[in-house]
Amino acid sequence: MNERSRATGFPVILRLTDLAVGFGTMRLFEGLNLALAKGEFVGVRGPSGCGKSTFLRTVSRLENPLAGNVIFEEPYTTQASSHIPSYRRRAIYVQQIPVLTENTIEENLRRPFSYKTACGDFPARRAGELLELLFVGQERITQAARSLSEGQKQRVCLIRALLLQPEILLLDEPTSALDEKATAAVEDVLLMEREKRKMSALIISHDAAQAERLCDRIIDLTPLLVAKEGPQ
Amino acid sequence: MIYLSTTDLIISAALVLVAGAVSLIMKLGLERRLLIASVRTVLQLFILGYSLKIIFGLDSPWVLLPLALFMVGAAARAAIKRSTYTFKGVTGLSFLTLAACGTITTFTVTGAVLKVDPWYSLPHVIPFLGMILGNSLTGISLAVDSILESLKEKSNIIEMELSLGATRWEAARDVLAQGIRRGMIPTINSMVVAGIVFIPGMMTGQVLAGVNPVEAAKYQIVVMFMLTAATASGCIVIALLTYKTLFNANHQLELTKILKQKA
Repeated sequence: MNERSRATGFPVILRLTDLAVGFGTMRLFEGLNLALAKGEFVGVRGPSGCGKSTFLRTVSRLENPLAGNVIFEEPYTTQASSHIPSYRRRAIYVQQIPVLTENTIEENLRRPFSYKTACGDFPARRAGELLELLFVGQERITQAARSLSEGQKQRVCLIRALLLQPEILLLDEPTSALDEKATAAVEDVLLMEREKRKMSALIISHDAAQAERLCDRIIDLTPLLVAKEGPQ
Repeated sequence: MIYLSTTDLIISAALVLVAGAVSLIMKLGLERRLLIASVRTVLQLFILGYSLKIIFGLDSPWVLLPLALFMVGAAARAAIKRSTYTFKGVTGLSFLTLAACGTITTFTVTGAVLKVDPWYSLPHVIPFLGMILGNSLTGISLAVDSILESLKEKSNIIEMELSLGATRWEAARDVLAQGIRRGMIPTINSMVVAGIVFIPGMMTGQVLAGVNPVEAAKYQIVVMFMLTAATASGCIVIALLTYKTLFNANHQLELTKILKQKA
């Protein structure tokens, strides 16, 4: 596949074809097609409860699509089950509610580097930099994760994902618990990662202004829902 | 061996009567339960005694097979009956685990250690299988309970690990290890205090039956090792089968399969 995105001129890295999302026999929406290019940030919007989070979980393969495909492009093209962990390492899903273990911040950040899919050693310096950039503070790295506020936990979860240098971030309301200053810092870090590494992202955000600032384009799940429900 | 008469049994029943009288005086409300439990004990153990007398007389592998299946089935059911959570097929997995671990351990002991002849000798195989199933079911019950509870409580952490690239095994490993440890604790504890805090049941029985205490101790050591091996293997096998059932090939935790056990 050598198709390039018209928006960025970079090759397509993730392709969703006729994707249907839901649980069991209940379809939340269907017929979603998307080609995400390298370095492209795409916003996802839709009414509350329409399945935006389930959509990201499906893209990360934590849920199976009810129909259609999630295809990570070459050189990783594969739908084999055994390749799913390494796909998830490259396309990391960061959920809205931060999840950290009861260990220290450092242990939380190091944990993914013990997985079979991890490449390289834990980048301690970069971890310190990101903790500073996102106003958590490098000196807190040895503290228990439970000592952090919700907003700080949210940023530590983002840092944990960024340290793995993913090709794609799947972000579910990444700044929902943050103040204006921290939100701006998160946005700067995300744009810097895009600039430096051509990282792509699918971002759910209720903040329309933020979506405008960060994203190259926005997909709206509402037409898919209407299409699914049929004309009233 | 000292043989007991009916009078001896009545005297021992008097001890329970004392407990019943205390319950009446202190208004503990236990006397009815004590009575029912005592009657059940007498009936169940006499039925067991007479049944075993008949069964042991029928020296055939064809008697052993249905009897062993019945014992394993009852143990498998009991093992998962009191768990807070359950999942479809857990009784079957519990049956498979107990059948495999129980059979292998029993025949290793009766065949390789005691060199019982014939191999199916009912007076030897049945008591050993019974002891193994009794201990293993407790271990399996604790292990399954711990694993399912942890998967429910820590599902967000497990999914976080999966989303960061952990394989299903890496994400489940801690929960499974904790479950296996929980299942093993009673057996390890009883090994640690055996002979210090209490004289184990089988050794007590043999000493009362007139066996040399050193010989009885040797028997008890074999029994303790056998129970530990059976419980450990039972806990490990049930943990792996639970893992295989609840984590699919796509490295997803199928949380909807875990159901609250009906009271």
